[in-house]
Amino acid sequence: MMRNVSIAVLMLSSLIACGRSDDTLTVALALLPSELPVYRAVVADFERAHGLRVVVVPQQYADIRRALAAEARSGRAGTLDLIELDVYSLALAGRDARVLDEAMPELSTMQPDAVAAGRIDGLRFLPHRVTWQALIYNHAVLGQPPATWDELLAVARAHPHRIGLKGSRYEGLTCDVLPFVWAAGGSGDAFDDEGARAAFRFFAQLAPYLHPHSATFKEATIAEAMARGELVLHLNWPFAMSLYASQGLAPDTIRSAPLPRGPNTTATVLGGGYLAVPNSAPHPEQAIRLARFLIAPAAQQRLARELGWFSARADVAAGDDNELLRGFAALRARVRPRPERADYRRLSELWQRAFRRVVFEGADPDAVLNETARAWAERSV
Amino acid sequence: MRTARRWLPAAPLLLYLAVFFAYPSASVVVLALTDSLGAGFPSFESFRALADDALFWRALCLNVVLPILSVVLELAAGLALALLLAARFPGRQLIRAIVVLPFALPEIVFLIIMRFVFAPRGYANAALALAGIEPVDWLAPAQWLTLAVVICVDAWRVTPVVFLLLLAALSAIPEEVNQAARLDGGGAWARLRWITLPLLRPALIAAVLLRGLDALRMFATPLVLAGVEGAPVLSTYAFHQWSDYGNDAVAAAAAAVLAGLCVLLSLPLLRLSMLSVQPGSSAERQPR
Repeated sequence: MMRNVSIAVLMLSSLIACGRSDDTLTVALALLPSELPVYRAVVADFERAHGLRVVVVPQQYADIRRALAAEARSGRAGTLDLIELDVYSLALAGRDARVLDEAMPELSTMQPDAVAAGRIDGLRFLPHRVTWQALIYNHAVLGQPPATWDELLAVARAHPHRIGLKGSRYEGLTCDVLPFVWAAGGSGDAFDDEGARAAFRFFAQLAPYLHPHSATFKEATIAEAMARGELVLHLNWPFAMSLYASQGLAPDTIRSAPLPRGPNTTATVLGGGYLAVPNSAPHPEQAIRLARFLIAPAAQQRLARELGWFSARADVAAGDDNELLRGFAALRARVRPRPERADYRRLSELWQRAFRRVVFEGADPDAVLNETARAWAERSV
Repeated sequence: MRTARRWLPAAPLLLYLAVFFAYPSASVVVLALTDSLGAGFPSFESFRALADDALFWRALCLNVVLPILSVVLELAAGLALALLLAARFPGRQLIRAIVVLPFALPEIVFLIIMRFVFAPRGYANAALALAGIEPVDWLAPAQWLTLAVVICVDAWRVTPVVFLLLLAALSAIPEEVNQAARLDGGGAWARLRWITLPLLRPALIAAVLLRGLDALRMFATPLVLAGVEGAPVLSTYAFHQWSDYGNDAVAAAAAAVLAGLCVLLSLPLLRLSMLSVQPGSSAERQPR
């Protein structure tokens, strides 16, 4: 009898010891293994200052999104206190995140567009890190990067099959399409406005000169193709420049530059991660305190310095003095968020299909856009 | 009570099937019939999305064509190698080991090596250049050549399974049978046609069943070599919907279609394998 009681007491104490403590926050962030030690060091400052323990769980954005949805569906108190979501899934996840205090002092020094992207029926997401695409070109071959669409077409004709776009069916393709639509004056959520038509006619002109593997290129594979010397230019995120620097290709051979200017303007897509406190968070007050700490100048400067992240804060430099990222820094004022709507995924998929039909199947741009606009209108209804 | 006792030995297996097969399968079907943005459950929205997508139809078509061609190639190559390496000659153990090597390598390692071989500036094109031949784009998206490369690489990796099965069956054929045929004046082709192949029939059917079912679930080879769009099959399509679009319901619908296809195509194979072991079949007549 005594033996059974001892076992029961032992099991209960183990359960309590393993249970969640009130002074522990669980944070799910999309961090690379190489980024984790630096991030833990940043969070350690918060732990010391507030006497809380923070468990950082590195995950992929998609898995964090699924975990948030699962905890919201369960209807019980969850396990995640603070999460990071990719910018284009904010509208879809909006209903599962808490409305935060609009009067945060940190927001006044942030890029208005970046803050606006986090407002989904109120401020629910805080820009943790921002990023955007730039033109990456072979300086040794081209000398100067193309500055306008006409110059881009001239480069394509001079170097056939050596320019690439990320034409695989995924979000990265939308990130290549939207800057052209915006640069021609399009809105990004209408398929038949003049901007969309001008951009797609331009894509049709570029199509014969694209690298033959463009239909399957993604960020990593297009970056590899450029490293192998198969491409003279493509659009990509800052990671590609770090990759080329590590291979000894940048900044001498490969450099970054602003995207070519279209008929109306120059634009690039806002990417990056946003912090949110789930509705089901077990410690929402402490989680908000941690979120404010992470977007404050000290943490943002350290993350920018040690991890090379871009900050939405105007008072944190965005690679202006870094030769590798000069092209990215020059685009800072041209960054635009993707259309914020719960059905964005469907919108994005339609942009991708329209692009692929025009560029890889040789379909007429106007006919494809008209058809896509009709399909979009039907589904929206 | 007596009935319950009779079922008791099967209980662990039934529990295993319920937890690891029935429940996940039912969850996939429920997910496939749920529209997360609109109508909830039940909804055929995911299946409508599949029907509207040309890539899905290509994936469905290739999910039948690629496995069939791959298994045919594996059987031909496996049989040829087994016949060749069943003979006694110096160094045959070493050659057998080399033949089995692709299967011994982890799949992803083998496929990455193949990517280097067939890359635009890879070993295959380097070999062509040495012979003064223009480079070939082996893995250009949606080309017949890409499909041929995927089939050959898949067959190359798994032919050792077929080879080992057939080699074991060949070594079980008594030498006296061949000697008797030789004494009766039977040539090499006649012995293969009338003695070896009929006696290998059960092993050939087992190889087709084993590899056929496995090939229907082909995933890594087309994905690593050609990407989702280059040589789509249903498993890579489902992965694409889940991973690139976060569209779990459409991914589940594609997975359900793949499961249905596997069941549908495996029925004739299973029937064939049953027939091959029935009394009076060639398996029963096989010398022991």
